Amino acid sequence: MDARMRKFLALFVACALVASFAVGCSSTEDEPADTTTDEPMTEVRAAMVTDTGGLGDKSFNDLAYAGLQMAEQEYGTEIKALASNEIADYEPNIDQLASAGYDVIFTVGFLMTDTSMLKAPEYPDVAFGGIDQFFDAPPENLAGLLFKENEGAYLAGVLAGLATLDETLDDRINADNTIAFIGGMDIPPVEKFEVGFIAGARSVNPDVKVISLYAGSFDDQAKGKELALASIEQGADIVFAAAGQAGIGAVTACLEQGALFIGVDADQYETVDEAKPIILTSAIKRVDQAVFQVVGQVVEGTFTGGITEFGLAQDGVGLAPYHDFEDKISQDIKDAVDKASADVIDGTVTVPATRDAL
Amino acid sequence: MLSDIITPDLFAAAVRIATPLALAAIGGTICERSGIVNIALEGMMLVGAFAGVVGALATGSAWFGVLCAILAGALLALIHAFASINLRTDQVVSGTAINILALGLTGFFMEVIYGHPGTTDSAPRLMPVFNISGPTEGVLGTIWTWINGVFLSFTPIVYIAIFIAIFGQWALFHTRWGLRLRALGEHPRAADTVGISVVRGRYSAVLMSGALGGLAGANLTLEQVGSFTEDMTNGRGFIALAANIFGRWTPGGSYLASLLFGFADALQIKLQLFRDVIKIPSQFFLMLPYVLTVVVLAGVVGRAVAPAAVGKPYEKG
Repeated sequence: MDARMRKFLALFVACALVASFAVGCSSTEDEPADTTTDEPMTEVRAAMVTDTGGLGDKSFNDLAYAGLQMAEQEYGTEIKALASNEIADYEPNIDQLASAGYDVIFTVGFLMTDTSMLKAPEYPDVAFGGIDQFFDAPPENLAGLLFKENEGAYLAGVLAGLATLDETLDDRINADNTIAFIGGMDIPPVEKFEVGFIAGARSVNPDVKVISLYAGSFDDQAKGKELALASIEQGADIVFAAAGQAGIGAVTACLEQGALFIGVDADQYETVDEAKPIILTSAIKRVDQAVFQVVGQVVEGTFTGGITEFGLAQDGVGLAPYHDFEDKISQDIKDAVDKASADVIDGTVTVPATRDAL
Repeated sequence: MLSDIITPDLFAAAVRIATPLALAAIGGTICERSGIVNIALEGMMLVGAFAGVVGALATGSAWFGVLCAILAGALLALIHAFASINLRTDQVVSGTAINILALGLTGFFMEVIYGHPGTTDSAPRLMPVFNISGPTEGVLGTIWTWINGVFLSFTPIVYIAIFIAIFGQWALFHTRWGLRLRALGEHPRAADTVGISVVRGRYSAVLMSGALGGLAGANLTLEQVGSFTEDMTNGRGFIALAANIFGRWTPGGSYLASLLFGFADALQIKLQLFRDVIKIPSQFFLMLPYVLTVVVLAGVVGRAVAPAAVGKPYEKG
């Protein structure tokens, strides 16, 4: 190979690698809803930056995007989502959206808390919605949207705590009074799921043993599966996973070893096909509602910063339908879940949110 | 408490967790023995994991998926081979670029093929090789549970990995292929003077490491979980790189090093079971396998000597 040829090839490979970087920062963009029908009703453009779980996690990030899509339907908002492959992508993604003139930007996930706090003052004309983010003194254009995950998980705990005692419910229920929680990363929103689940289970079944394990990742499916296998070996017959896509690995383990599953964030009966035969319910978190409401505020000009909490009372969290288990779960258990829900809403029961409060 | 930790599944989990690491680590061994640094194992594993699912979903055959995974890993390795052998670029830079390329490519093709990012549908999987029912009662039952769990509960690639480790160990030190491979990494000029083609030898080694990386990916998706998630390898390629060094650039050593890491990880999971008894944050447990690797690497193994010519581009003449 002569020198010129080699230079040319080096240039080519360099270009290919640069192009691959561009592919790495892939983004998802939807066509505007209906180009054939009426004009968009609003000039507002809304966008979101995912956390590292990315779109397609079939739960958290997808729900935020569903909220944007609801806004697109309702207000004709132009929408866009940028995926973050790693934490270092957060800032450039926000910069890119803000300089492209988006009016409201959602930063999805607890891990983006500091980034939101840093970037919101830089773009005072842009409204920021930080999902799962708490701020002590946010600037006026930054809203922290928090969920009482512990309240939804509490109901899941009540259900699991009673179901593990009821061997007639399903042949996967064993004699051990043991259930399991599997978390992604050990961060406050996931801890709230864990603590709520444990509190709920103990409220109806004081002797229940709740195994709780963390994967340390939201996308390591194989790790999620190993955690579920370890807990099933210990006698757990119901596994509640709040672990993003790592939770899908837990579904595989439950299918293999014959255990029941409780999903998280979205109604995972709808989003994870293979889970259908084993999924009791999901502890849902209406991120879509929160996103949709905030876009609505921006459209109507009523947006204010500050902290908003979405709990059972605000319909921000709750349980998904029982689907295939509708007929298997006894009326007593359903009543207990409904009663727990009513108790939480009217304040009779306060669900702990941290391990220390448990 | 101890009986909750020391269970058949502890050892079975160790082997399961070790398998993808070991395959990639042996790939790293072969590559570095030929004189080429390969930090792109992570990317090769990721691409293999993805291609495996694509192949299996398209044809309904898990074995065809495995073939796709091996080919995809080798194809990605071809870029590395070309950049490091023909263009003589810095091998670490090329490897890093390939890791990023792999992340981008899998995400991109996921959109193109399945129309959504994140996780694919579930593909057909390879099932455990043996499915023998033994006694379940009494002492005999306990013994059988242990034998079945620790030795007979695995999927095909797990056994293939053990075979590759043993065969590779023998081949590296007792065959002409192994001697030539080692010569390429220690003193390529000497190998060249006796008529061994450095370019061809290194190409085949890099491609082999890619194929093994791809096979490691296939183990993750087509045996362990059944679907592909973006970035699901979660740093396993880099742990494999460490296992290769820790195993002193031998296939057998790589396997044992991976097994140690796998055991530490499985143990970490078991210890987490007692998080409510011993009040220690979960992050501490998650850190254990990595700390153990560092400690063993620094303390027990002693000085590990890399092949002399590793990372140095070879210029004929």
